[in-house]
Amino acid sequence: MMGGRPTALLTAEELARSGAVGAAVEACYEALALGDREPRIHALLAHLMLEGDFYDQAIAEATKAIEIDPDCSAAYLALGLAYDRRGGMSDQSVLVWHELAEVAPDLVTAHVQLGEAFAAAAFEDDAVASWKRALELDAKEARATYNLAIASLKREGMALALPLFRQAGELDPSQDELFFTLLGVHEAPAEPIDIERVKPTREARLGAAGLALRAEDLFTAADLVRLVLDEDPDDPEALALAAYAYLKQEAANESMACALRALSLDPELPTALYCLGVVYSRRTGLNRHAARVFIALAKRAGTHALVHVLLAESLLGLQKFEAAGKSYRLGVRLDPACVRARFGLAASHLTEGRFAEAQWEIRRAAYYDTKRQGLFWRLYDEYAGAGED
Amino acid sequence: MAEAASKKPAKGAAARPDTKASAKAPAKDPKPSVEEMGPLRNQLFPIGVDYYPLDEERASFDDWYDRDVEADFTAIAEARISLVRVYVSWKLFEPQVGQYDADAEDRLGDILAAARVHDLKVIVVFFADDRLAEMNDLPWAKKRDPRDDDYLVQREISLVQRVVNRFRSETAVWAWELGNEAFFSGFGSEDALQKWATSLRDAIREVDSARAIVLACDPETLVRESGVDARGTIDDFEYGVSHVTAPYRAYAAEGPLTYGPATYLDSFLLRAALRDLPVLADGVGVPSLDVSVAEEAAYVRTALYSALMNRASGVLLRRWKDLETEKREPYFRDPFEVLVGLNDVHGEPKPVLAEVRRFARVAARLDLRVHTPSPERAAVLIPAERYEPLPSLAGLYTPRSCLQAYTAAKEAHLPVTLAREGDELGGFMTLFVPSAARLSASMWSGLASFVQSGGSVVLSYGGGDADPALREIFGVEFLGDHGVRPVVSCRIAQPGLLGDLTAFDVRLDLPHYALVGSGTATVVATDATGSPLLTLNQYGQGKAVFLAAPLERAIAQSDPWAAPDAVRSLLRTVYGSVARAAGAGPVIDCDDPSAEIALFQGEQGDVVFILNHSAEAITATLTTERVVASVVDVRGGAAARVEARAFGVPLGPNAAVALRLSYG
Repeated sequence: MMGGRPTALLTAEELARSGAVGAAVEACYEALALGDREPRIHALLAHLMLEGDFYDQAIAEATKAIEIDPDCSAAYLALGLAYDRRGGMSDQSVLVWHELAEVAPDLVTAHVQLGEAFAAAAFEDDAVASWKRALELDAKEARATYNLAIASLKREGMALALPLFRQAGELDPSQDELFFTLLGVHEAPAEPIDIERVKPTREARLGAAGLALRAEDLFTAADLVRLVLDEDPDDPEALALAAYAYLKQEAANESMACALRALSLDPELPTALYCLGVVYSRRTGLNRHAARVFIALAKRAGTHALVHVLLAESLLGLQKFEAAGKSYRLGVRLDPACVRARFGLAASHLTEGRFAEAQWEIRRAAYYDTKRQGLFWRLYDEYAGAGED
Repeated sequence: MAEAASKKPAKGAAARPDTKASAKAPAKDPKPSVEEMGPLRNQLFPIGVDYYPLDEERASFDDWYDRDVEADFTAIAEARISLVRVYVSWKLFEPQVGQYDADAEDRLGDILAAARVHDLKVIVVFFADDRLAEMNDLPWAKKRDPRDDDYLVQREISLVQRVVNRFRSETAVWAWELGNEAFFSGFGSEDALQKWATSLRDAIREVDSARAIVLACDPETLVRESGVDARGTIDDFEYGVSHVTAPYRAYAAEGPLTYGPATYLDSFLLRAALRDLPVLADGVGVPSLDVSVAEEAAYVRTALYSALMNRASGVLLRRWKDLETEKREPYFRDPFEVLVGLNDVHGEPKPVLAEVRRFARVAARLDLRVHTPSPERAAVLIPAERYEPLPSLAGLYTPRSCLQAYTAAKEAHLPVTLAREGDELGGFMTLFVPSAARLSASMWSGLASFVQSGGSVVLSYGGGDADPALREIFGVEFLGDHGVRPVVSCRIAQPGLLGDLTAFDVRLDLPHYALVGSGTATVVATDATGSPLLTLNQYGQGKAVFLAAPLERAIAQSDPWAAPDAVRSLLRTVYGSVARAAGAGPVIDCDDPSAEIALFQGEQGDVVFILNHSAEAITATLTTERVVASVVDVRGGAAARVEARAFGVPLGPNAAVALRLSYG
C-alpha cells in the first residue's frame, strides 16, 4: 500500500507545496484515476480542500484516507481541522483529536484542538486538562494559555482571567515585531554587529543599535546607545532604545525612566510610547496609565493591529469591556490573523453574553494559528517517509 | 367611523373564533378589537412552522404526534402563524405491505381537524427524513431504496393516493409535499429525481387536482449536497422553496449570525430559487443550540424580514418546539439541523416567538395586492461553471463569490436579484459577473448584445485565459495572469468616473491579477505599479467595467467577517455607480451600507422596509426621489412630518422597521 510515490502524486505534492491549489487538485484526481487506495492522495486532497475552506470535501477525503490506513496522521490532522473550522461538529472533532494525540503524542496542537473541541461541547474540565497537557509539552503555547484565560473568564470572571490574558500576551512574539516595525527595522542582520565597524555618527549608531536589538544582542545595542547618549544625553530615540533593552531584561523601573525621559523630550515618539505602555501594562494597577499611553500610540501608529490590541488589553483591565471590544475589533479588521486580537474579542463578547460570536472568534484564532503552523506537511512528510522506508 | 369599521371585520380575521367575542366585548374591555389591531395575518404572505412528529429524542417512532396537538395549535394560531407542516410516517402508516394502520390515519385526521378549528392551513409531507422518527425506515423494505426501487415507488404511490383520497375534502390541507431535502439528497441523478417526482405528482393529481403540490428542495443547496440539479424537476410543481441548510451555511457563510454574510444568506438563496414559481423561505431558524436566545431572535428577525423584502411568498419556520435531546455521555449536543424551535423543551415561548409575532403584525399590514416591490433591474450572474464537479474548483468558489457580489450590491442599496448563465437577460439593465474563470461562448455573445443595447456589465477577472470577447466588450488587452498577490492596491486615475473611489493599500490575498493593456477602455484605477485595476469601456450603447482582480472571491476566501473596508467599499461603490448610471439604481437611497432597503410601491403611497444587517445601532438616512410629506409605522401610530427628500431612521442592532410614506 505504501510503496514509492507515483509520479502523479509527486506532481500533486509539488503543486500543493507551491500553493497552486487548483492544479494540485487536478493532479490528485489524475493520481486517483490510477488507483484510489493510496491514503496519501486522499490526505493531500483533504489538505487542499482545507486550504480552500471546503470543509465537507476535506472531511470526505480525510475519512477515506483514514479508512485506507488508520495510522495516517496527516489525515487525522486534516479531518480534525475540517471539523473544527466547519463548526457544529465538536463531538466528531473530540474523537479525531483524541486519536491524533494517540498517534502523535508530542503534537501540541492536537491537545490544544482537543481542548477547544471539548470546550465547544461544554466539557470544560476536560478542556482545561487538555490545555494543561499542551502546556506541559510546550510552556510557550500561547493559544493554550489564551484558552485557559477564556475558561477562567467563564468560571471566575475577568479579574482572575486577566493575569492569564497578560501571560498569553507576553508569549506573543509579534509584540516585539511591533516595536521593530515602529523603529523601521524589518529584518535581523545576517551577521553580528561589530561596533568597531559602525560609523561614528548618531544615525549609524542608532541604526546599528536597532539591528542589534532585533538580533537580541542586548550588550552591543547597549554599548551603541551609550555612545550616542554620551554625546547627547537628551536624545529621545536613543533613550527609547534603552527603554526597550531594559524591557527585554525585565528591568521595568529603568525602562520606565528611560521611556518617560524620552517622551519628555519627544511626546509623540512611538517607540517610547510603546515601551512605556508595555511597562505600565505589566504593573498591577497601572492600567489607566497604560490605556492613556496606548491611546497616544494608536493616534501615532493606528495602522498596526497590535497597537489596538495593547490598548484593548489595558481597557479590559479597567473593565471597560465595550471600549475594549471596539479596539479588539479594530485590531481584527487590520489583521484578521491576529490570534491575540481574536481571543481578546472573544473575551469581550463573553462579557456581553454573546457566546456564539465568542466561540466564532476562538475558532478563527485556531484557524489562523493552525494555518500559520503548517503542521500538515510535517505530518505528511513523516508519514510518507515512514511508508517509503 | 370606528363603529362602522367594527361591523365589518377585516378579511383576514373573518373566520377566526375570537372575532365575535371581540365585537361583543363591552366598551371598557381594554383588549383592542380585531379592527383596531388590523388584519391578523397576511393572506398573501403566510407564516408557517414545521411541526415535527417527535419532540423528544427518547421517543419511539410510534409516538408519532402523540401529544397535545390542540394546545400547540392554539399557541400557533395565537402567534399569528397560519401554516403548519406535518409529516406522514410511512413506517407507521404501512406497517406491513399493503396493510395500513387505521389509527395512524385517524391521528392525522385529528391533526387536520384541530388545524381547521384554529383556522390553520396544513402542508402534509409524505417522504421526509427528520433523522429521528424513522418515518421511511420500513422493516419490510429490506433496505431497498425508496427513491429508485420500482416496487417501493409503487408502494409510495399507493400510500400517497390513499392519504390524499381520504383527506382531499379536508379544507385545512393547503398543499401536499412530496418530501424534504434530507430525503431528496439521496437521489443520485437529475433523471432519477425527475422520474420519482413525476410519478408521485401524477399519482396525487389523479386524486386531487385542486391543491398545490410542493417538492420542497432548494435547488442551490441540493446541488451542493448531492450534485443533483433539481431545477428542471422543481419547475413542474406549484411552489419552490429556499432553504438555508446547516451544511450550506457552513460552506457559504460560516460565522456569526448577526452580522456579515450570514445575514444575507437567506435572501441570497431565496433569490437563487426565485425563477418562475412563487418561493417559500423554508427552514427559517438557527441550526444549532450554540447561539444564545438573543442571537437566535436577532437572526430570525433578519431572516423573516429578508424573506418579505426579497419577494418570498411566505416563510416556514424551522421548528415549533426545541427537541429534547438525550443527555447521554459524553456528547449530548447532536448536530441535528432541526434541533431548535420557537419554544423550549418545556413548551415555554422563547424570545424568537415574540419576534415572529411582531413580524406577523408588520407583515399583516402590508397589502401585497396594493403594494408591489420595486423591480430589480440589476442582477448578479451565476456562471454555469458553478455546476462543474471536482476536480474543477469553480463549482466550489462560484457560489461564495456570488454571495459576496450580492452582498456588495445590497450594500449599495440596489434592488438586485440573481440570474444564471443562459437566462434571458432582457429585463435587466446591469449585470455583475463576479470572479468567473470561464463563461461559455454564448454567454459572451449574450453579454456583447446586452451591453451593445444599452446594458452595463461589471465583470471581475477570475483567473485563467481571457476570452477574445474581453477585448471587444471591455476594451482591454489581456496580457496574462500575474498570479497571487498579498496586497490590494488602488490608485485613482480618473476621479469621479465610477463613484467616489479612494486610493488604498490593504492586505488581502488575491488569487489572480489580470495584467491588461488598455485598448479602447479608460483606466479608472490602477494598482501601485500602474497596472490597470479598474477600466471602463463604452461599447455600443452600454458600458463595460472590468475589474482586474477577483475581489468577490478574495473576500469570500479570506475572512468575509473581517474583510478590509476599503475593498468592500470599492466594490459597492463601483456596483452602485454603474447601476445608477444604467438606470438600475435604488429608488430610495441610503447612506449606511449595513441597511437593506426594500420599497413596495403603491398608488396611495409607498411602504419602505429598512433592515439593519449589523449588530450595532445605526441611523440610516434615506433619500427619496420625491418630497416625503410624512412617515408612519405600518402598524399605526402618529405620523411624523418630514417635508423633505431625506430623513433619518434610527435602527437598533439587527432591527427592522416598515414605514408608510406619504408624498407631498
